[in-house]
Amino acid sequence: MKTQRANTSEFKLLATPLVLFLLLFLGFPAIVNLIYSISDVSFETLRQPQITGLSNFVAVWNDNAFWQASWFSLRFGAITALLECALGLFLAIFLSPLIEKRSWLMAILMLPLMVAPALVGLMYRLVLHEFAGPVPYYLWAWFGASLSFLGPTSAFWTLIVVETLQWTPFALLLFYMAYRAIPTEVVEASAMDGARRWNLLWYIELPLMAPTIIVALLIRFIDGFRVFDNVYVLTGSGPGGSTASLSIYIYEAFFKQGAIGKAVAASVILFAVSFAVLYGLNLFAGRRKGALT
Amino acid sequence: MINVLRWLVFAIAAFAMNFPILVTLVTSFKSTRELSTNPGLWVQAPTLDNYLAVFQVSDRLNIFLYLFNSITVAFIGTTLAVMLAFPAAYAIARGKLGERTLLPFIVNLRAVPLIIFAIPLYMMFQWLALLDTRLGLGLILSIVNLPLALVILVNAIRDLPGELDEAALMDGASRLQILLRVIAPVCRPAIVTSLIFGFITSWNEFLFGLMLTTSKAVPITVGASFFFAASGGGVQWGVASAVMVVGALPPVLLGLIMYRQISGSMTAGAVKG
Repeated sequence: MKTQRANTSEFKLLATPLVLFLLLFLGFPAIVNLIYSISDVSFETLRQPQITGLSNFVAVWNDNAFWQASWFSLRFGAITALLECALGLFLAIFLSPLIEKRSWLMAILMLPLMVAPALVGLMYRLVLHEFAGPVPYYLWAWFGASLSFLGPTSAFWTLIVVETLQWTPFALLLFYMAYRAIPTEVVEASAMDGARRWNLLWYIELPLMAPTIIVALLIRFIDGFRVFDNVYVLTGSGPGGSTASLSIYIYEAFFKQGAIGKAVAASVILFAVSFAVLYGLNLFAGRRKGALT
Repeated sequence: MINVLRWLVFAIAAFAMNFPILVTLVTSFKSTRELSTNPGLWVQAPTLDNYLAVFQVSDRLNIFLYLFNSITVAFIGTTLAVMLAFPAAYAIARGKLGERTLLPFIVNLRAVPLIIFAIPLYMMFQWLALLDTRLGLGLILSIVNLPLALVILVNAIRDLPGELDEAALMDGASRLQILLRVIAPVCRPAIVTSLIFGFITSWNEFLFGLMLTTSKAVPITVGASFFFAASGGGVQWGVASAVMVVGALPPVLLGLIMYRQISGSMTAGAVKG
């Protein structure tokens, strides 16, 4: 039909600005990434990259720091996601009778989400400072001892706590919404059947919240995996590169060492892995949705 | 009895999660002398000296510039994202265009570590002379804001009855006219929510601010860290705390005022995205 086709072209026109913008600011950089990753390039030869093959990838592959950073990112993402979701789930369910009646309580719990992670990281520099920080101060006063929180042995776990305390509210919020969305009839019917509170939670409520829990775990893992801001301002890459995430590794390879080829090759690897994982997840989610409907 | 326990848990959780903010707020009111003797959680003699010092412009530090930069880049990044996303959202929701390509691609951008685009963007900005400009940083922030804005707007338009468009089509209106005159007014809450979200995200962004600006266009998140760079003897914790309070205040206030809208769409973006 003629009107139908006219319609489609009008719609296409409406989506065009966005598509052009994405091509310019993501498509073009992606191509630059690919070309530079197989070239011999430095800040002096930025405009005439010499294509040399896969030597940059080999350099990254043989770089211990790259594997150390990958391991850090994986562990950091997995541990923080699990901690945040476990804490958030407990708080959401346990506190929901309070929050239901007074929604301002949620506003207080959500507050950390509004503050820039970079600023929160800077704040912890004060909180944990050996002379000016209240945490060492009270530890000394009460226990006569303190930790070197950002030292080689404890830096990783300090960062885990910092990230978890800031982002647990996100999981809490998601789970609270999902918990409240459970139809009351379901809960009442099970209670009529004499289900105990604990069984109700385990067999009825948690399974109903399962999709939200998976989504929250995923989002928090991704954000933990690509962490930059708070780690960068707190410890940087840390003693011996022990707290360098992949984002920090790439940043430092480029800005501190000027190793453009290595930084770009690492970007391309991260790019490929991210897209492969996301594509797989989308396939999985699509099949699940299909099974449900 | 169990309610007492709930209040206790709430108090502990709220205290622990807001602890760095609390400490910073308290410290910002301490005098330099008090700071050296009292790192505790109370203030003996509150003073505003630190705030006066923060707003003192020197050739090294200029908080007014950082705040102005943050406002400007957040404004560019937010409005541009919504202006690009809104017509596209309409095409996706009504024209079924790119539902399986464009939409998932942009939604997935939220999950991609943005550092992978940072280096080529840095080079590109060098060629285009966009390094250390507010426009340049604003353009990148709009990419950061696009995924959530698009999801919120697509969901909002999908929830509208199709009769709205059809009635206007009958009257011979073009799609663009329908978008601006019919859809935009009823989508106002969704547009406002995406603007608020974009503003908070842009204001709090750090990585691109750090990479793409050096002096003229430095946003407050990066500028705040300049106050930690010791000038002579060590960090001045009072002044550093005051600058963090100032830098955190705009998104926190916005979040406290609008937390109902924000909590609603944060979950929408997470669950449906």
